[in-house]
This record gives sequence, C-alpha cells and structure tokens, in this order.
Amino acid sequence: MQLPKIFVVVPVFNEVTVLDQTLSDLVAHNYNIILVDDGSTDDIDIIARKYPVFFLKHLLNIGQGAALQTGMDAARFLGADIVVHFDADGQHDAMEICRITDPLLKNRCDIVFGSRFLQNNSSQSIPFSKKIVLQAARYINYLFYGILLSDAHNGFRALNRKAIQQISFTQNRMGHASEILSLVKKNKLRYLEVPVTIRYSDYSRKKGQNIFNSINIFFDLITK
Amino acid sequence: MKGIQLILLLALLILFISYFRWFRNAAIDKVLIVLIFLAGVSFVLVPDWTTKIADVLGVGRGADLLMYLSIVSFTYIVLLLYSKIKKLENQLSDMVRRQALGGMQDFSKVKNDDQLK
Repeated sequence: MQLPKIFVVVPVFNEVTVLDQTLSDLVAHNYNIILVDDGSTDDIDIIARKYPVFFLKHLLNIGQGAALQTGMDAARFLGADIVVHFDADGQHDAMEICRITDPLLKNRCDIVFGSRFLQNNSSQSIPFSKKIVLQAARYINYLFYGILLSDAHNGFRALNRKAIQQISFTQNRMGHASEILSLVKKNKLRYLEVPVTIRYSDYSRKKGQNIFNSINIFFDLITK
Repeated sequence: MKGIQLILLLALLILFISYFRWFRNAAIDKVLIVLIFLAGVSFVLVPDWTTKIADVLGVGRGADLLMYLSIVSFTYIVLLLYSKIKKLENQLSDMVRRQALGGMQDFSKVKNDDQLK
C-alpha cells in the first residue's frame, strides 16, 4: 500500500527569526512542506532555500487565511492526501503532527482541530487575557455555527482529501478560523479535537491575537 | 407616524435589501445619481420646495429634510463603496494566489531559480 502523502502548509509573514527553527524541525520529521510567503518584506526565500520545501510567494500581503488557501491549492495540485496547517512562529510542535493526523489516517474523521485546552498541563501557561478572549470566541462561534470546540482559534489543524476539497477560505485574514467551522457544518464533515501544546514564547505572545484583533475578526465574520 | 418617519424607514429598508440583493447592479446606482442630481438642482433653484415638501412630510424646516435625506444617501454610498472594495479585494487575492501557484518552486529538487512546471 502506498503511504498517504502528508503536506504541511506553513504560512509565513515576516517571521524570519523563528522560521529557520520551525522549518528544520519539520524537515527532521520528513514531512512534505509547503511554505507560503504572504508578501513578507523580509527575505523569506533565503531561509526557504536551505530546506527541501515547496515555496510559494504572494506578491502582496493578503492575510493568513489567503495564504493557507494558496498552500492548500498547491497541496491539492501535488496530490496531497492530508494537509496540516502549521504556524511558522514556532508555537506548534512538529512532534505532534503525527498525533493530529492519526485520526485521519484511521478514517475516524475528515478534519482534526488542535486544542490547547484538552490537556491540563499545557493550559497552565496560557496568558489569562488570552484565555478570556478564546472562551468568548468559542461561544460566538457556537452561536454562529453550532459547533462548540474547546479551542476556538487554534491554527494547528489537519484535513483529509475530502475536507481539502470542500474547505475554501474566502476570509483573507484571521476570520478563516471561524469560517472553517461554518464550512465543516455546511459540508457535514466529521471533526475531532486532539490535544496539542502551544508554546508561548515572548515572540508569539507579542504576535498573537489580542482583544482588539478579536473584535476585528468578529466584524469580519458578520459583514462577510 | 409622521410622513418623514415612514420615508426614512422605507429608505432604510430599501438600503438594507438592496445591499444584500441588487448591489452589483450598476444601473440602479446611475438612476439614483440622476435622481439625486435632479432633486438637488430643483431644490437649489426653488428653495421653497424643500420647505413645502418638509411641511407635507411633517418635518419642521426644509433644511432638516435635506439633512435627513443626505444621511440616508451617504449611508448608501458608503455601503456601495464597501462592497466594491470587498469585491476588489477578492479579485486581488485571486490574482495573487494564481501568480503564487504559477511560480511555485521546489527547493528539494532545484538549487537555482528553475521553476516547477
């Protein structure tokens, strides 16, 4: 039997300082990597060139949702069986990709969401303000889409072929994390949550979603 | 209910519905612009008309009537521009994506600038 082709899609925007580490971790685990440079002003390709990755570059910065979509289009073109969404900023652990893809390989569901709240030990380190924002986002998503996940905005996900075909982001920016739920619901995809650890470095804390940004996401959703 | 209330409510309703339904129909925009222009011209030429119309509609002064109407029309214009911007944004991301996919490079195979076919 042929091994399923797993592609890890990594959208990146000006994250040069951590990208090197993220890519070398992923390469060490032998995954196919699709790196999507979302119009960075930094020279991402100098780092990308050092690794065996598929490299795509947006001429302009159009947003993480759009970059993921470009990566998924490329993955589909390359014949991917499974696509993993993976953040470039080093908050996800390449070791956990096997865990998040496992339910797909066993055909237990079509899409797997990573959750930082299913594991008690990892949730200890989540900043308090972030916890509140994420709790609010959960219930807003539930209100809109009828899907209550334990972690509303986790960028660590895995999709099988069926999900890749049916999920297409129109929300260019961060609204895609909620949009994906509406698509899951609409296409009746089977979903599961798997505990993952999120590493909060000073870097990702600075870069992550803050309260004001969540308000933006909320309005992106209601005005789409 | 005063006449003006009814009209403003109706205008808001039309705004609301047209935003979701006929927004991309440029002909409606053109007709509206012509109507606004004609109304503007006649109100400038015969200012008393605004007062008369205002009287009929239950608004105190003609100037107040114009203000109410302009608020409604500005809202309409803002929504129109918003939808155009959204549309452009979608087209732009489509183009950027196509360009990116066309220029995909496979760094595991090539060490130079050769592009993947």
